[in-house]
Amino acid sequence: MNYFVIGFYALLIGSSCLAAYYQKRSLFLLLFTLTLVCFLMGIIGGQPALWFVTVLAGIIALAAGTSYAWREFLVLTLPRDMSRALKTAPLTASFGLFVIFIYAVMGIFAPVIAPHGEAEVISSAFAPADANMLLGADQLGRDVFSRIVYGARNTVGLALAATILAFFIGAIAGLFAAVRKGWLDQIMGRGADVIMSVPSLIFALLMLSIFGTSMLVIVVIVAIIYSPRVYRLTRAVAGNVVVMDYIEAASLRGEGTGYLIRKEILPNSTAPLIAEFGLEFCFVFLLIAGLSFLGLGIQPPTADWGSMVRENATLISFGDVTPLIPAGAIALLTVAVNFVVDWMLFRASGLKE
Amino acid sequence: MGDVASLILKRLALGVVTLFVISILIFGAVEMLPGDIAQAVLGQSATPENLAALREQMGLDQPAIVRYFHWLTGAISGDFGNSLVTGERVSSTIGPRLLNTLFLASYAAAIAVPLAIILGILVALARNSVFDRVANILALTAISSPEFFLGYVLILYLSVKTGLFPAISSLQGDMSFGDLLYRTFLPALTMVLVVMAHMMRMTRAAIINLLASPYIEMARLKGVPSWKVIVFHALPNALAPIINVVALNLAYLITGVVLVEVVFVYPGVGQLLVDAVSKRDFPIVQACCLIFAATFILLNLAADVGSILTNPRLRHPK
Repeated sequence: MNYFVIGFYALLIGSSCLAAYYQKRSLFLLLFTLTLVCFLMGIIGGQPALWFVTVLAGIIALAAGTSYAWREFLVLTLPRDMSRALKTAPLTASFGLFVIFIYAVMGIFAPVIAPHGEAEVISSAFAPADANMLLGADQLGRDVFSRIVYGARNTVGLALAATILAFFIGAIAGLFAAVRKGWLDQIMGRGADVIMSVPSLIFALLMLSIFGTSMLVIVVIVAIIYSPRVYRLTRAVAGNVVVMDYIEAASLRGEGTGYLIRKEILPNSTAPLIAEFGLEFCFVFLLIAGLSFLGLGIQPPTADWGSMVRENATLISFGDVTPLIPAGAIALLTVAVNFVVDWMLFRASGLKE
Repeated sequence: MGDVASLILKRLALGVVTLFVISILIFGAVEMLPGDIAQAVLGQSATPENLAALREQMGLDQPAIVRYFHWLTGAISGDFGNSLVTGERVSSTIGPRLLNTLFLASYAAAIAVPLAIILGILVALARNSVFDRVANILALTAISSPEFFLGYVLILYLSVKTGLFPAISSLQGDMSFGDLLYRTFLPALTMVLVVMAHMMRMTRAAIINLLASPYIEMARLKGVPSWKVIVFHALPNALAPIINVVALNLAYLITGVVLVEVVFVYPGVGQLLVDAVSKRDFPIVQACCLIFAATFILLNLAADVGSILTNPRLRHPK
């Protein structure tokens, strides 16, 4: 027992007692469960396990503080109607928005932020980190930090392009199917069923083995794989809108299909579609990252998070965490988007009731 | 019962048709190659004589429909032709690996399914509490992480730093069952984490959906304890969605298995498929894709049949 361990438990028990005294029921439950878990972890893992908990708690506190400040910042700077929605947003959602903002900045200003080029060999292979290279060098002696920054542009950009294309195909087909109905609707529905009945990764691998792995092929294939999901949702949402009286009124007025879709249906079905865009982006992003990890996505020397994990995976067996950073970057962005989508879905369902 | 039987038969027929369409898709995809397989195998520098010889050997001089039915009848009896790279029979390459993959998937499922359902019920019981929120955030994080991230994190902490489990699952024929379970624990755990999070969230949603219905409120007002409400009143009706959830996630395991096998260098079908794709060994790619797609479709079929069978409204028609 040393001062750290004693202080650690004293702080936990003290704060849970305070929480109990001030009737903060959920906070007390959380803190006291944490205390019990820490007893167990301390017995099994000793002091390093307690350090791990401390560091984790620090990170979570930092993230919570950042998200709180970010939410207040957005509420103050954005126009009124948007800031009103944000005021009630949970901290997780504002954390998600913050992460997305950081990634966007990183991707857009990659050449400014990165100290070296993405394919520039500047030292020996697997050189350790120094003042010049924040995270060390990879297997060819390129700067890992610069490659991660460029990866934000390449990997996220590719996933975004594929998602937008998938949305374009799926939403247009879904809207047309909802308006026109009949045999076109039937054929597209069955086609969507067939594509959805093959696991997406397997389908992508089959297509990539045939068409090779260029950026364009990846974007088109991934868009085709995920467009049926968008199609289904758009078809369902638009199907509910199409039966409304004002649509009938518009079509009796003699408006064409294009007008109906643009001016009447689309504005009334955007909320679920935006949430779906976020979810879809997560799936696409994970699929593309998986493909690059398998060596079948973005080809070297372009910096890309998935292939960076694979190229530097040998470092893990020496206990080095560097290869996990790009993988963690993928996970962080997906978590962030999921948090925001969760909040949007909750809002959409709350408004309906 | 007549209703249920015809519903199930209809669903089975639909499944067979889908499988048939998929087989056409997988076969047709290779037909879309610029040039043909012989050209792809021999490369640009092939002499016309070599090309013609290979084409005749592979039966490429016959029309596509004839070759398709030849391939399909072969595939049904387990014969997928020969590998383009090694020349070995595809079935003898895939056979043992398929067993390994099935073992890994069922190992993961055996841990994940009971755990996820119990956790899902517990979280539904404690909904909107701190535990629910923490569990929700953890589950979202597990879902959002790519399989290879979870896999490498587990390798780093459970294998490299503490040495509890082996990082690479090398399998030998003469290992005992316990040893086998120990060696494949990390890949199985990776898949358990991903699938469990999905299943837990969906089970929670299914039960919470039910808890809002009037008959549950009636039971509560009668004074039934809350665990009894869940186990005897809500669970029987939640069975259909839960079976659906389980089958869908088992189907999801199939995609996850490819990445996990590559991370842990596990000798399974997923690893084989990835190798075959980068070597452009089309018979193996076709065979693996067909196997994966068929399993996926069968599991989805099982989900639908299961939810039809457990639906009391269909079992006892008025």
